[in-house]
Amino acid sequence: MQDLLSIYGTDLASRLFIGSALYPSPAIMQESIVAAQSDVVTVSLRRQGSASEGADFWQLIKDTNKHVLPNTAGCHSVNEAVTLAQMCREVFNTNWIKLELIGDEYNLQPDPIALLEATKILIEQGFQVLPYCTDDLVICQKLVDLGCEVLMPWGAPIGTGKGLLNPYNLKTIRERLPNTTLLIDAGLGLPSHACMAMEMGYDAVLLNSAIAQAGDPVVMARAFANAVNAGRAAYLAQAMPEKDLAKPSTPTLGMPFWHQNG
Amino acid sequence: MRKPCVAILGFGLMGRLCALELYKETELSIYEKGSLTGEQSAGFVAAAMLAPLAESVACERDLSEQGLAAISLWQKVISQLDKPVFFQQQGSLVVAHAQDKGDLHSFGQRIKSIEQHQAITVTKHEIGQLEPELAGRFQQGFYLPCEGQLDNRQFYEASFAQLQGTDVSFYENCDAQPNLSRFDCVLDCRGLGAKNVLAQLRGVRGEVIRLHAPEVNLKRPIRLMHPRYPIYIVPKPNHEFVIGATEIESQSMRSMTLRSAMELLSAAYTVHSGFAEAEIIEMSAGLRPSLPDNRPVINCDGNVVRINGLYRHGYLLAPIYAAKAVAIAKQVCEKKNEINC
Repeated sequence: MQDLLSIYGTDLASRLFIGSALYPSPAIMQESIVAAQSDVVTVSLRRQGSASEGADFWQLIKDTNKHVLPNTAGCHSVNEAVTLAQMCREVFNTNWIKLELIGDEYNLQPDPIALLEATKILIEQGFQVLPYCTDDLVICQKLVDLGCEVLMPWGAPIGTGKGLLNPYNLKTIRERLPNTTLLIDAGLGLPSHACMAMEMGYDAVLLNSAIAQAGDPVVMARAFANAVNAGRAAYLAQAMPEKDLAKPSTPTLGMPFWHQNG
Repeated sequence: MRKPCVAILGFGLMGRLCALELYKETELSIYEKGSLTGEQSAGFVAAAMLAPLAESVACERDLSEQGLAAISLWQKVISQLDKPVFFQQQGSLVVAHAQDKGDLHSFGQRIKSIEQHQAITVTKHEIGQLEPELAGRFQQGFYLPCEGQLDNRQFYEASFAQLQGTDVSFYENCDAQPNLSRFDCVLDCRGLGAKNVLAQLRGVRGEVIRLHAPEVNLKRPIRLMHPRYPIYIVPKPNHEFVIGATEIESQSMRSMTLRSAMELLSAAYTVHSGFAEAEIIEMSAGLRPSLPDNRPVINCDGNVVRINGLYRHGYLLAPIYAAKAVAIAKQVCEKKNEINC
């Protein structure tokens, strides 16, 4: 049976969401999206000006025939984010919105209070919100209470490439919200970080800089695709229990005094 | 034998360079949609850096190699102009603030050596030797000795002046294209104006600030690592500085945004506090004509030779691509001449 990911009722084969910024060229972006085998591409409208002024670049993204997940990157207030979400819906004809509300300019940390407020407004307006949030269980629970079916806690601050800074928090969120679709968004730098998130039981990962800013984005996209698949397979296969004492895998039969040094 | 009859569409950077190569040996007509002084063109807004090594971080090796070769071509072009154009090849300096040292490290790893030219790691002390007013401000950086720059505004003016005293026919503010078939060859240098024939062309918005900063005495272009796009501080004559440029996937020609202005100006200020009292001379925005692979293209369609897609590498590559396009144009003219004979 195919292991599909469901995002607000849309089934997806790939568990790697990919960003569309910072590539050396749009052609390399398109090649990277193909190499990553992603079904979902995120796109920012924030600095493009009017809808028609960014149209040529957005067309290049539409040409990939992937689902587009518009985001509100660069917004600092509820009003800005709501307005931009409405513009995104018009341009890309989708109710999906990756809701990003920055609370701190230095580490681009999401503002959890404004995030809740904007989420409530957007859900009332019929949006399917994918909030980018910190790894705070209570905020995550409140977002679910508001009606979010998908949450995207950060692994580390955007663009740092530091990986999963707080695995304990992330594990807790996974355990406590078993019926919510969870993506790790932001902070991943290496395929092993993505693999770790998937092994932990996260449903997918979203990343941009780790691929776009790699020396060879296309090859790195392929590496991330493999890592995500490996991590997902490992999660489904259920890892062996961790133990504190060594246990040889070679049978001890024929060694009657195996514990003589014990 | 009659001179070949050639038209140039678009009198921006590429149109000017092609015209300078052709005006003596052809009967040349120049058509420009806007003003012949060129304010509307990307090359007028640009900082006119010649930075083949720094650009090698994000572009293919062949483009960097061509960029290196173009530096000597620029010297030749400028030497043939009657009016002076500021040109400098004293290298450039790449620096980063502490929080961006990861980007500086990555820049150092990815920069390519071109022929015998390479980036030189410089210490805090060496940065101070190269640029005394930056002494003690940065722990580490790179010095790229082969890089240079020119004054694009002076080049625009001098190239126009050079052609004005000749037989070249100028057509300004032309909305309609001329009848192309009456020319032996047409060089289409319109940049984004050629979107009707190059459907994949897109504009990449760039914003630039020009300052007059009498308290700042930087000798060479400074490139500051920035998470989104490289920011240059490029010293022009008379204490003028060009701070640029943003890089936004948009065709918006609206004036500079406050966010971009703050990014560029704060970058300048953090490099040198003398910019605090600088006078803002100009804030401008332009669109870089770009193709999906961000590489230039020359193609030939009948008697029309099209040069386009120079992206952020206008000054870096223009003389090379102008020479290539002109060579093709001459072949087109020769063929036409053979047919007519």
